[in-house]
Amino acid sequence: MIAQEQKPMEEILGYLEGKKNIVVMGCGGCATFYHTGDKKAVDDLAAKLESAGKAVTKISMPLGMQACDTEKSGMYLDKNRKEVENCDALLLMSCGDGVQVVTEYTDDEMGLAKNVYPANDAIGLVGGGPFKFKETCQSCGMCELGKTAGICPLTACGKGLMNGPCGGVRVDNKCEIDEKKDCAWVKIYERMEKLGELDDFMSMRDAHEWGKCKRPRLFELEEPMTMMDMMGAMMNFNTVTGYTSLMLAKKPEKEKEEEKA
Amino acid sequence: MPDGIYSQMMKELSEGKYVFTGELEPEKAGNVDEPIQAAKDMIGLVTACNVTDNPQSFAYVSSLAAAYKIQLETGMECVYQLRCSDRNRMALLSDVLGAGTLGLTSILALAGDHVALGDTPDAKPVFDLDSTTLIHMIRKMVDEGKDLAGNEIEDPPKLHVGGAAAPGAAHLKAEVAKVKRKIKVGVEYIQTQVIYYPDILDKFFKELGPVDVPILVGIYPAKSFGAAKFFDEYVAGVDVPPDYLANMKKTKEIKDKEKRKEEVDRVNLEFFIDFLEYLKGTPSAGCHMMAVGYPRIVGPLKKVME
Repeated sequence: MIAQEQKPMEEILGYLEGKKNIVVMGCGGCATFYHTGDKKAVDDLAAKLESAGKAVTKISMPLGMQACDTEKSGMYLDKNRKEVENCDALLLMSCGDGVQVVTEYTDDEMGLAKNVYPANDAIGLVGGGPFKFKETCQSCGMCELGKTAGICPLTACGKGLMNGPCGGVRVDNKCEIDEKKDCAWVKIYERMEKLGELDDFMSMRDAHEWGKCKRPRLFELEEPMTMMDMMGAMMNFNTVTGYTSLMLAKKPEKEKEEEKA
Repeated sequence: MPDGIYSQMMKELSEGKYVFTGELEPEKAGNVDEPIQAAKDMIGLVTACNVTDNPQSFAYVSSLAAAYKIQLETGMECVYQLRCSDRNRMALLSDVLGAGTLGLTSILALAGDHVALGDTPDAKPVFDLDSTTLIHMIRKMVDEGKDLAGNEIEDPPKLHVGGAAAPGAAHLKAEVAKVKRKIKVGVEYIQTQVIYYPDILDKFFKELGPVDVPILVGIYPAKSFGAAKFFDEYVAGVDVPPDYLANMKKTKEIKDKEKRKEEVDRVNLEFFIDFLEYLKGTPSAGCHMMAVGYPRIVGPLKKVME
């Protein structure tokens, strides 16, 4: 998922200076998981904008209705066409994908010229949870994990080195940039040692082929997902148990104490 | 010079001489007058001087321009330091060709500190190559006359490539494996990061075992307490011994400038003469004295090894 956090209010209000009628639109995808685009987040931000003198129209999107999906966000924008037409700006509580899909839709499909501002900062593709997440993949288009014991050095190493560790590793094997982060290359060494692959560690990995990542990358699906596919994918016992365990997840006491301290 | 040896430093190393190198630091200025003066002061005392490339990611005069000018004006052989932090493989290649064109004969290939540690923290860090792939690229340019993409280079550069090692690394085994990797791709000499502790350096040499590549051990006699403290706090992967720091701190109390200088020299000589005596018994091929802005200490220190 794409982790994200809400921008500071000063920045958001800066974008909206001189603008009265605002459409605040959420996202039922990743932003909902990170509390930055669900119904409550939309309500909270709308309330703050109202107290700053704005007239707000709220568009909440339920779970599974992602702002980055043109069909879905288009459906919600069309439903609120009048408000969108009359607004001075839209504020998107999603990652940058959502913001740009909505920009393109209002431009090309609705024939409107509207400012669409981001309310969130996307932090990256992350794994982990339910409380702590870590950026582990940058979708570079040329996966190197097969050469690095399953740890991506382009992402997990602060410098993105293909042949580490660098000389800046801290005494506790943390990264020179941030004492909270582990040195990825020490971890790769330790995994390779366990796997009996230290000879591979000592061999040079070629420089990453950035030529495989020509931005913006385009992607086509021959057969898009149908409603039936989606129902089939969601109606599964494991989905229910997965969400149940997420609901029951509790933050470990030790971490709570650390946060208080 | 023998065939395939392009620099005085490599010549002396290949003859088994104990080699001293110094360090010159261009600054954020429109000239390199200070390192030129320091180079002049070290002529005859060191075989070559490294010219630093944006150390600790502080953006200074280009090390290529500085190394060229210092070598031209003083005759001091310059080891051109080149970091991957700020250049992609194309820019690195251009600079290596530029170095060859300007008559520089040695490059020290470094990954470089992350830009976040320096004075321009919002810069985009590059690291398209790392130190190992940079060493590999330079060897390929010199030996095969080709770049990484396989394109031909007309009149390939004639220069040597060195690499760094961090004997004080927290994870010694991973560090040594990386050094062996650099040796595997053809590094010709190694200059280590600063090390203060003989027992730690012993462990490094033991873990590394016998290697064919000459290793110059890095030391840092600091010109002042402030310089030593900065090194301790801001140089990634280096810890300055507390006793040495405390002795340097005491020199601050001396009001008379000349007397303070004398005391700084005394503290440095006391610490580093012992260290150099110890170096004689190690497999080191030389000593890289990073006495930046402090050339007057080089002569007295070097005497120990004569």
